[in-house]
Amino acid sequence: MVLVWYGIVAFMLSTYIVLDGRNFGVGMVQWLVARERAERRQVVAAIGPMWLWHEVWLVSSGGVLFVAFPRLLASAFSGYYLAMFLIVWSAILRGISIEVGGHVDDGMWQSFWDAVLFLSSVLLAVLFGAALGNVIRGVPLHEDGTFHMAFFTNFKPYGDVGLLDWYTVSVALFSVLALAAHGATYLAQKTEGPVHDRAARLSRQLWTLALPAFLLVSFLTWRVRPELLGGLTGRPLAWLGILFCTGCAGALAYALHRRQEQRAFVSATVLLQGIVVTGAIALYPVMLWSTLDRGDTLTADKVSAPHQSLVTATVWWPLAAVLAVVYCSSIVRFYRGKVGPSRDGQGLY
Amino acid sequence: MTEYVNNPALWHRIQFAFTITYHYLFPQLTMGLAWFIVFWKWKALRTAEPRYEQAARFWTRIFGLNFALGVVTGLPMEFQFGTNWASFSRFSGNIIGQTLAMEGMFAFFLESALIGALIWGEKRLGPRAHFIASVGVATGSWLSGFFILVTNAFMQRPVGYALAPDGTLTLSSLSAYLGNQWAWIQFSHNQCAALVTGSFAITALGAFYTLRGVHAEQAKMYLRAGTIVGLAASVAVAFPTGDAQAKLVGEFQPVTLAAMEGRFESATHADVVLIGQPNVKEQRLDNPIALPGGLSFLAYGKFDSYVRGLNEFPRDTWPDNIELLYYAFHIMITLGTLFILLMAYANWQRWRGRLESHRGLLWVLLLAFPFPYIATSLGWMTSELGRQPWLIYGLLRTSDGYSKVVSDGDVVFTLIGFVALYFVLGLLFLYLVVREIFHGPREGAHA
Repeated sequence: MVLVWYGIVAFMLSTYIVLDGRNFGVGMVQWLVARERAERRQVVAAIGPMWLWHEVWLVSSGGVLFVAFPRLLASAFSGYYLAMFLIVWSAILRGISIEVGGHVDDGMWQSFWDAVLFLSSVLLAVLFGAALGNVIRGVPLHEDGTFHMAFFTNFKPYGDVGLLDWYTVSVALFSVLALAAHGATYLAQKTEGPVHDRAARLSRQLWTLALPAFLLVSFLTWRVRPELLGGLTGRPLAWLGILFCTGCAGALAYALHRRQEQRAFVSATVLLQGIVVTGAIALYPVMLWSTLDRGDTLTADKVSAPHQSLVTATVWWPLAAVLAVVYCSSIVRFYRGKVGPSRDGQGLY
Repeated sequence: MTEYVNNPALWHRIQFAFTITYHYLFPQLTMGLAWFIVFWKWKALRTAEPRYEQAARFWTRIFGLNFALGVVTGLPMEFQFGTNWASFSRFSGNIIGQTLAMEGMFAFFLESALIGALIWGEKRLGPRAHFIASVGVATGSWLSGFFILVTNAFMQRPVGYALAPDGTLTLSSLSAYLGNQWAWIQFSHNQCAALVTGSFAITALGAFYTLRGVHAEQAKMYLRAGTIVGLAASVAVAFPTGDAQAKLVGEFQPVTLAAMEGRFESATHADVVLIGQPNVKEQRLDNPIALPGGLSFLAYGKFDSYVRGLNEFPRDTWPDNIELLYYAFHIMITLGTLFILLMAYANWQRWRGRLESHRGLLWVLLLAFPFPYIATSLGWMTSELGRQPWLIYGLLRTSDGYSKVVSDGDVVFTLIGFVALYFVLGLLFLYLVVREIFHGPREGAHA
């Protein structure tokens, strides 16, 4: 039962990362692919009707984490207190900038909100990347399962760590790079005109950079958390994950090379999700390492809800998940097709 | 008030109270407006008269802005369970998490997928699918309100739980938890109040356009729909839903009822106080004007019912801010009564065909729109202050529920951040809505 819920949390969080990650990416590359005001509106209109249900994956993941692993949620959220609020504030600004940017037909108004979109998107990519780095590296957990962490201590990923150190910062930078590439790939298949041409070029460049960056981050991960390698090599499922990711990376490279934008985007999405899920498989059953004492590490069994509650949630969750997929796929279907540079068909975005 | 200063959870409480009160300004209008938009879209489908489409489009623009603010200010609420109330989350997360997760899975996915379609896709979707999108958004917003109220109802009157060996709570019955009587009554009361907010907003705009002599046809529709629903909802807020809610408080939280009424002594034939100032130190109500027997009757159905005063309860179970609780409750009741009178009078004038020419009344209807917001905020203050000193009634004290690892300095920092950010968001929202109002409903323009 605990394993099932570990899987559900991993699935939902990774889905959130790939879905909203593309919006962060679009926000980050907006100024690189769009030179004029109309082009920037076009970029925002390419994510406008969709970002909200992407963000709901985060809210729902939080809800599922709450049901299934309440102690983990309590420890992590209170321990990362200030970082959590930076995420919340950035998410607020990001949402507002998308929703109100197109409301007033004025150059200064729109430039302002485009700048807010850029800054909040970068901040979100950095914060989520650093958070991922923190999960892999671990936090200074005490015996009672709580921790309180500074933003930075001595920038070393051992012992009394801070939110930021050389390891988590490198994961954060990699996250910026990978999500920017993801966003550009999305724009390349969603837009027409000059925005499309620039996005397609940019996505090839960024993915080319992302591959060596990924290898570097993997090497650093092995240095910081050698246990992960054991988790990867010792489990057949993890092997399958690695094989799957390699396949996706190959498909992505091929599609980018052949200018097949739709395929490139799908491959990129599955690749990113595959990497996160494979990481989760390797981590299991650990949910949060302790950098102080190995015995204080929070495992899934230690932080999970009582059996009865998990069973109850297993009754309604599949139904809700099916409904959610139906809603999401119908809006994706409604929204298919490309976004052009004219205001027509962009709604209020 | 001295208890307040020594309360370790003080800053956590202030931050939660501020962010939730601010947040709820938006969903109440969302839930209130949603069915008006559905109604107008339905009329537009049925009659093909352009005025209905025009009204639906105009209100959808206001709705979209309001919805966006509701979404972004709602996100911090979800986070604060973990960041500020970690002990509470550890203690009861597997129970209240059920409804919070259900809210995300059942309500938010529905709302969020379709709101994009509602705002962006009228041309693309065609009238029928667009109508369905509006129904979906309305349903989603009410569902989300329901799940949140089940969560809150558990904190007010815990049901369906068992104590786990490690001292935390565990869910023993999902149906008991979802079927909590408190949840259903509070939900009816709250949704009627949201309709009051929505109908007062619509009425106010109709009055505004009429007074300015613009958009006459639209203004007439708004006044008609707003005053009819406004009267029905204002009555329903008081009776049966508000009445039932007060009886629940009397049954399950008698000490809260005593504090809401500022009653220190127990009595049969207890008076209901109209005006008066609670004096907690001297344990009496100063300058009271009261109806004899009123409280006994309202709370327990008979004039000779025995109402327990605060003195019958241990001091450490008294709500810790009796003064504020008392005023919140009494001002809410007063406003609710005025809403019924105002809407009854407006309907009478409309029935006589004099509403559009009655400039005095139109001014009152225009200036009335902020008061439902005040009343709903006070209602929530009554509910939440009345629950004190408990976080989960009878099971967990508020002073045991906050995050021990978070320092006051951290909370004050984030509180200041929220105040600043929300101030700016408020200005932005007002600017954009006022702008839409002056643009007015446009003919033939696609949303």
